[in-house]
Amino acid sequence: MSSSINNPLSRRTLLRGLGVSLALPWLEATSSIAKAATVVAHSPTRMAFIFVPNGVVMPNWVPKTEGFGFQLSRTLAPLAPVQDELLVISGLTHDKGRANGDGPGDHARSASVFLTGSQPRKTDGEKIRSGTSVDQVAAQAVGQRTRFSSLELGVDAGRMAGNCDSGYSCAYSSNISWSSESTPVGKEVNPRLVFERLFAGGKASEVDKGQQQREALQKSVLDFIADDAKRLQSKLGRNDNRKLDEYMNGVREIERRIGTKTAKPTDIDVDYAIPDGIPGDYQDHMRMMCDLMVLAFQTDSTRIATMMFANAGDNKNYRKIGVPDGHHDLSHHGENAEKLEKLSKINYFQVQQLSYLLQKMKSIREGDRTLLDNSMIVYGSGISDGNRHNHDNLPILLAGSGGGTIETGRHVRYDLETPVCNLFMSMLDRMGVDAPYIGDSTGRLPGLTL
Amino acid sequence: MFGLTRLLGCALTFYAANFFASTQVFAQPSTRESAAELTKKTLTKYCNDCHSGDKPEGGIRIDFLTAETQLGSRIDQVDKILLALKDQQMPPADADQPEGAERVQVIEWIEQRLQEFDCGNASRPGRVTMRRLNRNEYNNTVNDLIGLDLKLADDFPSDDVGNGFDNVGDVLTLSPILMEKYLAAAKQIAIEVIKNPEASKLVFPAQSNDPNDLDEAVAVARENATHFASRAFRRSLNAEESERFLDLMKATWEANASKDEIMQTLITVVLASPHFIYRIEDDDPKDFVDGIRPLNDFELASRLSYFLWSSMPDERLFDLARTGKLHTPEQLSSEVDRMLADSKSKALVDNFAGQWLQLRDLEALSPDPIKFASFDAKLRQSMRRETELLFSSILNENKSVLELLSTDSTYVDERLAKHYGIDGIYGDGFQKVDVRGKRRGVLMHGSILLLTSNPTRTSPVKRGKWVLENLLAEPPPPPPPNVPELGADGEALGTLRQQMEQHRANPNCAVCHVKMDAVGFGLENFDAIGSWRVADGRETIDPSGVLPGGRTFNGPLDLVQILVDDKKAEFCRCMSMKMLTYALGRGLGVADRCTVSSIVNNLAKNEYRFSTLIKSIVTSPPFTLQESGR
Repeated sequence: MSSSINNPLSRRTLLRGLGVSLALPWLEATSSIAKAATVVAHSPTRMAFIFVPNGVVMPNWVPKTEGFGFQLSRTLAPLAPVQDELLVISGLTHDKGRANGDGPGDHARSASVFLTGSQPRKTDGEKIRSGTSVDQVAAQAVGQRTRFSSLELGVDAGRMAGNCDSGYSCAYSSNISWSSESTPVGKEVNPRLVFERLFAGGKASEVDKGQQQREALQKSVLDFIADDAKRLQSKLGRNDNRKLDEYMNGVREIERRIGTKTAKPTDIDVDYAIPDGIPGDYQDHMRMMCDLMVLAFQTDSTRIATMMFANAGDNKNYRKIGVPDGHHDLSHHGENAEKLEKLSKINYFQVQQLSYLLQKMKSIREGDRTLLDNSMIVYGSGISDGNRHNHDNLPILLAGSGGGTIETGRHVRYDLETPVCNLFMSMLDRMGVDAPYIGDSTGRLPGLTL
Repeated sequence: MFGLTRLLGCALTFYAANFFASTQVFAQPSTRESAAELTKKTLTKYCNDCHSGDKPEGGIRIDFLTAETQLGSRIDQVDKILLALKDQQMPPADADQPEGAERVQVIEWIEQRLQEFDCGNASRPGRVTMRRLNRNEYNNTVNDLIGLDLKLADDFPSDDVGNGFDNVGDVLTLSPILMEKYLAAAKQIAIEVIKNPEASKLVFPAQSNDPNDLDEAVAVARENATHFASRAFRRSLNAEESERFLDLMKATWEANASKDEIMQTLITVVLASPHFIYRIEDDDPKDFVDGIRPLNDFELASRLSYFLWSSMPDERLFDLARTGKLHTPEQLSSEVDRMLADSKSKALVDNFAGQWLQLRDLEALSPDPIKFASFDAKLRQSMRRETELLFSSILNENKSVLELLSTDSTYVDERLAKHYGIDGIYGDGFQKVDVRGKRRGVLMHGSILLLTSNPTRTSPVKRGKWVLENLLAEPPPPPPPNVPELGADGEALGTLRQQMEQHRANPNCAVCHVKMDAVGFGLENFDAIGSWRVADGRETIDPSGVLPGGRTFNGPLDLVQILVDDKKAEFCRCMSMKMLTYALGRGLGVADRCTVSSIVNNLAKNEYRFSTLIKSIVTSPPFTLQESGR
């Protein structure tokens, strides 16, 4: 991947940073046509989920026409270069985002339900509970095929103090990935740390002889602490043991990664500057996180990722695009035209970043397809209209055809109350994951393939 | 002493009654029934169908609330009822719903009964879920353990916040990525220790005299491993544990590792162990009587040090624990004095005050640069510092906690002085200045005024809500579902204040908003970044208001005087609740009310001194006892 023209940042940071070699298993750059053909058969399917908070201005989001050749709406206009790879899906619902007797707190619920389809337990601390999210279900089933079973990214760290939403712990607002019903998977917001984590090993050719011994020491460390945890179990009660389970899962995940002996990757020079921290500019930050997601997919470091463009109920301003007001404050627009206009600008800005990501993925060839073709990228919010806080008719779109298994380039509309989780089930099928259900799924989403 | 306590109790009752009187106006305009009768009527109407008789729904009966004089044995049920009412989980959505005002009236009546509730010996200490070190605690602990301030946890994912704080066991989860970071950090610390002779000596103090004496080398290794691990695990090690470390070192040696590699492996294992990462309080059934046991002295030492220092115990605390002398109330109190005087108590400012007063959230705020051109990162930093310095002065000089509200002085550097219109302050150093007649207490700090504003304007609602939640522990319930959309029937006109008054025409909104808005209006002379103003655009500010209960005020100084005069007990109760939550690392339940009441009583008896607050907490049952979680 070269620094693309529409990313001024990468050129700038390239000068500062150090271009490094990443291990690319997809032999594109060096392979003959014959070789590339064999790669196609093995190109893996990836999936990612991108969350935006506070709903969107629906009249500006929903395309006016349906089917192929649909007319892009005002908010989705930046996606014109990838329209053929889009499936805009209207009508889906997250019923478990609704109060269902739990009272206010729609923002917290909108994030915690987004990928779990499960009613979060209303608590500010004690016994947090949601459900296992679709990305983690996939990660637990097929994640062992890559070095990282999944990647959780975000742009804003969790809130530092105070309460997040009407009696819901901040854990619900700042996470969309849950590895079990009680364990949110922390997200990484610092591009430098993501980069180091993904590519700390450096060039495959640089693997030195000392590595074997280090691996042996590493293994004895892991054995020892796993044993520590096991001995501790009997001394603890229920809640404490749940905490200890999280620890043991973490150790197992590391053990697994060390044990993974993937085919020796080929070195290909990818001029991507090592990020040197969190950029001050929000757009730069979002794009850098998108870059890293692409790099992770491209190098097959993982096939599953989640990204929060912002946390639920986020109230940051978007001054750079002429919106000095807080996003959440604005989302309670009361049908005020000025507020709706500002909100639409924010929606548009976020879709621009999505478009950046999708175009980048489209520019990367894998055999006779593109990385985007081989992916399923879901983008959307767990709230429809920020003013009404409703969780039906959600703004959801899917990009990429999952390796040619989804007929894209369309706007489709499903019956009201169709669970978002049905879409997740259809996606899991394409990831080769056999799950009985996700959250409140009632089946698959029909008509993805024609 | 007894008299004073009684007096406080009366003040509380009086206030609750006053609040009630104001809500009653909305609930029952034409009749004047007693609070109990009104509550009973509401509960009977909306709850009795399911929650009475022999087989009440969910095992919860509601009739005892108004029938019995003692809530004692049913205190847990009251907790559930209160929460269900507050969160609007009950009555269920498909049943008849009480009006907002009715709901608030019942909640306030139950709250008041709980104020009067006498726990006797019935209260239980509660179970604190095993806590892993959060980022600050990890950094400080490593610094104290090896003498190097590496700040590795700055790169860990942020800790989730529960009950307002990031040290709550239940939400301190450990995801695989964090485990990865713990392991990587442990390895890096091991390398740093070996590289640094002073750190090495602190970690492994024992030295062998004769490098050729193998027996001695083994003894020294065992001693060093045991020394380091027991400090890292914050307790003594048993023989089996020491032996395991020795076995590990042997195995590493047999694998041809160098001496440095052996030491590194040991350090890595200790720092990646659950015994280091978590603060473990064993839950062995044989130790518990009636499901409760006193914490041992090592556990107490950790509770103390992580509460006051956000770090591991020092040598003195370990000594007291080893000799079994720490647990007496006298010893605990004297350690509090010593620990507060130590510079490490700054952690209480950063981590407790920073979260209680939400100073940490300042970082993320950016007011509109066109409307507030004078604002920059430097000013933001100075604002935060001002509030931290006020809190520090109360801590360091053991002043009355009420000074937080009422002090006539504050701390400014040149930047902040200019912002406040104070002349003659130069440079980046902070000075104590008298602001009598202009500003008073934390409520008029730029920090608080900024973090309760929107980017473009003030928000009286946010300010009022902040005061109710963080200073008075009277958080307003969230707005009821299906609030009509603002502007649905024509956009409100006039000043911000007039607009809000129009919106309050709905009695169901007014029941909470009269409280929030009144406080917020009283602070309207301060703009969204805390500058003094007399007009908002073309409109002159009207900073007067009426508090529930009929107290009128004119301007912010008046408002604060009312808080200081009439809301002392509520403020102390609120601060005690926040501090206790932080000290325990868990949310408080109804059963903790008695602990809170006794802390508040102690404060009143001891001139509201800061150290009284801390000492009352560390000698309280929830802090010194643990309940089984089996």
